[in-house]
Amino acid sequence: MSLVNLAHVCSHLQNASKARLGLTSIPVSKLHANLMLGLQREGFISSLTLGGPTPPAPYLLQTQTPLSDHEHMAQKLETEPWLAYGGGEASLKASGARPPRDTAVRVPLNPARRRLWLGLKYWNNEPVLKHMQLISKPTRRIWLTVEDLSKITRTRASSYVGGLTRPGECMFLTTDRGILEARECVERRTGGMALCRVW
Amino acid sequence: MSVCRPARCLFSKASSSIPKPSAPHPRRPFSTTPPRPVRKRRPHYPSIKAEDLALLNQAADSSFPKYDTSETALLSKKYTPSQIAAIQAAEQALDARDIIVQGQGRTDPWRVPYEDDMAEMDPVTDHAEKLSHTDIKGRKNVRLTNAVERDAAIAQIGNETLAKMYPDGIPDEIPKKDQEFFQEAMTTALTQGALDPRAVFTSTNPKVLEALADPRHDVRLPDLPRIENKMVRQTRRLSQDEEEDPRQKRMLQYLGWEKEKLRGLRVKTLVVHGVVNQTRMGKIRSLYYLTIAGNGDGLLGVGEGKSVEPDEGRKQSVMSAIRNMRPIPRYENRTIFGDLEKKVGATKVQLYSRPPGFGLRTQHLIFEMARAAGLQDLSARTPKSRNKMNVIKATWEALCNQRLPDEIARGRGKKLVDVRKVYYGGSVH
Repeated sequence: MSLVNLAHVCSHLQNASKARLGLTSIPVSKLHANLMLGLQREGFISSLTLGGPTPPAPYLLQTQTPLSDHEHMAQKLETEPWLAYGGGEASLKASGARPPRDTAVRVPLNPARRRLWLGLKYWNNEPVLKHMQLISKPTRRIWLTVEDLSKITRTRASSYVGGLTRPGECMFLTTDRGILEARECVERRTGGMALCRVW
Repeated sequence: MSVCRPARCLFSKASSSIPKPSAPHPRRPFSTTPPRPVRKRRPHYPSIKAEDLALLNQAADSSFPKYDTSETALLSKKYTPSQIAAIQAAEQALDARDIIVQGQGRTDPWRVPYEDDMAEMDPVTDHAEKLSHTDIKGRKNVRLTNAVERDAAIAQIGNETLAKMYPDGIPDEIPKKDQEFFQEAMTTALTQGALDPRAVFTSTNPKVLEALADPRHDVRLPDLPRIENKMVRQTRRLSQDEEEDPRQKRMLQYLGWEKEKLRGLRVKTLVVHGVVNQTRMGKIRSLYYLTIAGNGDGLLGVGEGKSVEPDEGRKQSVMSAIRNMRPIPRYENRTIFGDLEKKVGATKVQLYSRPPGFGLRTQHLIFEMARAAGLQDLSARTPKSRNKMNVIKATWEALCNQRLPDEIARGRGKKLVDVRKVYYGGSVH
């Protein structure tokens, strides 16, 4: 697990959001994919698609319902509004929405040609993900315990890691339960190796 | 010059058998856009219907009637025939219909009441009515009063004055709060009585006594009446009002503020230094000022000014600081939302939010700014260059451009909750 590539990803995402890109790609690895899923869970990126050297078709990035079905969906939601929340697609499919047209993602067979395509988010003309930097370095890994993390999430520094003092700052760790956010780690009472901080 | 053309014209005139060259062959259009229809000709003057004109005539006759015979008879008593002719000529020169259609009366409070029948005196526009000694009939004999006559006159005049102040008569029991006013009224009445000429002079001729009481015989002009309306109240200048700065006035209009609110601002000049402009004539020295302004409640502005005149430069910077005031988002009205960092030039400013009661532990420039903005808990570092101007600018920009939790939540599509003061009944920070 090389952190060098992760460092490249961090600076690439910062550069891409400075350039106001809507879609960017990073090399694929299990670490990258899981970290990006964590970022998506925290709302920093909008979409995550495995693809080739060319960006995936835009309609693949979001589940769409054809315009003709909107009215039917609205009627369905009026009678059963809970369909809008839980179950999502399955329930709406049950309501009669047709599946989107070409869902096949063309991933190259050669793993070296695969890329992870990320949709970046912007709000009020400001990137949602503005800063992303490594905590552990390739030459100096930092493992944090739950006690450290509970301090850090309460804005205090611990184990040579600064607290999460900026508004909305997040920290990702790799644990034996996968890549988790620092607050999630505290909740689950697990420590781990600090990867990066994002704000 | 073509010779054929006039010849052909001649022929065409001579013989009608030659076909005219006006064959309407279709002309090739120069563009694909369809031709615009010819504009409908509108008359230069709006056409007025006869019935509208009749209505107008009727209105003109009713609102500006012609002189009838009784009125002309009255006029002829007052004016000479030539004057009456002039009046009639003037009346004819103005068409009553034009006055109705085009005329516009003034509506401002200072308009002159032209449509006045001169029956009443207007204390503002008219000369005060005056009488002279020739208007007093009978003998004009006057002598000084003796003590008894003087006291009687003072008592009488005092009573008259009091009667004006209390038209319903003096109440038997005066409440405590009106006691002072009553005492003042008594003193005023007696003083007026003592100053009145009737207390000093008396005469056997009642006409002379009347003249003594008549203000029309007074040498002094009567006081102008106090006019009470909005315009007067706005333009009234009291003697204690200080000289008004036109720039300040313009800024008050711009901000839409009262003068009192402007006085409550914290304004402080933080940087002053001389600057020099080198021209071919020599060096021109001027002073540079950097001023901050804040209302101590979440507004902060930074302004710069430069002038050869020190006072002028300072004023410039103050005005621009007030004009530049921008809202500073504050957490619990005491500190900032999280840590901030801003770089201007080689200056880096790091601002940290702190718990309640921490105070302003910062360098003096940031301290002044935080105080003006109404921040109470803050600490700061300026790890790199400490150029005063850049420190102030960086701090101001950092404070103005904070990322608010609400916006972060909207941007990420997550729900963010402030859990401070949530546990233990909010008694723990």
